[in-house]
Amino acid sequence: MEHKKDDKHKHHILSNKLGLRILISLLVLTLITVVASRIDFGSYNFPIAMFIASGKALLVVLFFMGMKYDDNQNRIIFFSSLFFVAVFFLLTASDVFTRHVNWRARGPILMEVTGGVKFKKPWIPTPELIAHGKEVFSVSCVACHGSEGLGNGAAAAALNPKPRNFHEEAGWKNGRKPTDVFLTLKNGVPGSAMASFEGTLSAEDRWSLVHYVLSLGPTQPSSDTDDLKKVGITDPSKDDGGIGGGEKPQRKIPIGFAIDRYVSKAK
Amino acid sequence: METETTENSEHHHFAHHFESADHEFLTCKQGMWLFLLQEVLFFCPLFVAYLIFRGQYLHDFHLSSHHLDWVMGAVNTIVLIASSFTMARAVSAAQRGLKDATVENLLFTILFACGFLLIKYLEYSHKFEVGTLPGKYFTNAELLKEAPQAPLFFSIYFAMTALHGLHVAIGIGVLIWIMRRAKKGEFGPDYYTPVEMTGLYWHFVDLVWIFLFPLLYLVG
Repeated sequence: MEHKKDDKHKHHILSNKLGLRILISLLVLTLITVVASRIDFGSYNFPIAMFIASGKALLVVLFFMGMKYDDNQNRIIFFSSLFFVAVFFLLTASDVFTRHVNWRARGPILMEVTGGVKFKKPWIPTPELIAHGKEVFSVSCVACHGSEGLGNGAAAAALNPKPRNFHEEAGWKNGRKPTDVFLTLKNGVPGSAMASFEGTLSAEDRWSLVHYVLSLGPTQPSSDTDDLKKVGITDPSKDDGGIGGGEKPQRKIPIGFAIDRYVSKAK
Repeated sequence: METETTENSEHHHFAHHFESADHEFLTCKQGMWLFLLQEVLFFCPLFVAYLIFRGQYLHDFHLSSHHLDWVMGAVNTIVLIASSFTMARAVSAAQRGLKDATVENLLFTILFACGFLLIKYLEYSHKFEVGTLPGKYFTNAELLKEAPQAPLFFSIYFAMTALHGLHVAIGIGVLIWIMRRAKKGEFGPDYYTPVEMTGLYWHFVDLVWIFLFPLLYLVG
């Protein structure tokens, strides 16, 4: 940085006249942006508003913040921050918006319960559900829990804590009621390798898994009305649990699934 | 606003590790711009989250944004722009050594900032009344039916405006401190670094609102 001993004259002083002009310009631009937003330009409303906002921001930066009279180092510092904002946004958008996911088709657990139409009242175990659960298990769970559900799958050796042995009654972290196990499948077990399957398996598939793994154990606990309420089933007398709506399971979309988790938590 | 020139700003001595008072000033200013760079990046994720979710739930965001009072937003925009103007005036008054004008303009800036927070408070309390609150605290069933993602919009709305409001509140504290120092006659043509740095910060707060206003209130 070059600076002579006495270069006060280099310090720019914003004149009252220019300051006032900037103020009026900013107020006029505010008025324009409000008026423009009242008129329906369709999808152009957004770029118009952002264009005007950028113009206002530029006036503030150049004159009020004195960027116009500042040195290049400070200019580079400020505009590099905008560059990184653009990188952040464009990379995120290029990922999220190129995944062809129907965002509206998915929802939180409340709607998921009614998932498919294959099974009515999927929270009540039936031989059909258990058989379906066994199929799902052989695809999604065997790697860790083993083909017999003994917690001795191929990947189990590398895991600590060890995967659950479904044949034992003791040690179920979240409890052994069907609704407890359903929530484990929904949320995973923090601090272990047990992942959430909310985004990869439909609610129906998860209920069938619940009944299958419980059928392996020595006892089969049941859930009462309060337990069912915890997973969103308000009216157990109805086939859909009194929830209505539907869900299309979407598979293999980890980012969409993460966002969905976020959204359902936000609710 | 013509006032006497203060002489006692002469008593500021630059720190020994600087070559000159000017060196000190330029270093401070560069440090301030670096701070503002990190402020931009600090707000950035919220803007990105807003833009991404807006893209995904355009309809819901649109409906939710209609539940914000754009008149209040517009008034706040004007208030904040006016405060930026008085802040700029305070800096140039300090540069010219006009003590009273510096103090006056700083006082106006503080009053505008308080006005901004007051309007924000009225907006927030209305949202508490009608239940358009973030995430699981959202209780406005009517809007929820039309726009299932409205709670997400209001999560982002509150996160962004609260973070901005916090900046305004901190700004008021700094402005009061600077105003008291200006009253004591600490600033003048040879030393006005704190006024200028506060100005840069304050204009940045204005900048953020310049984008928040159309994004949240107007085009949703």
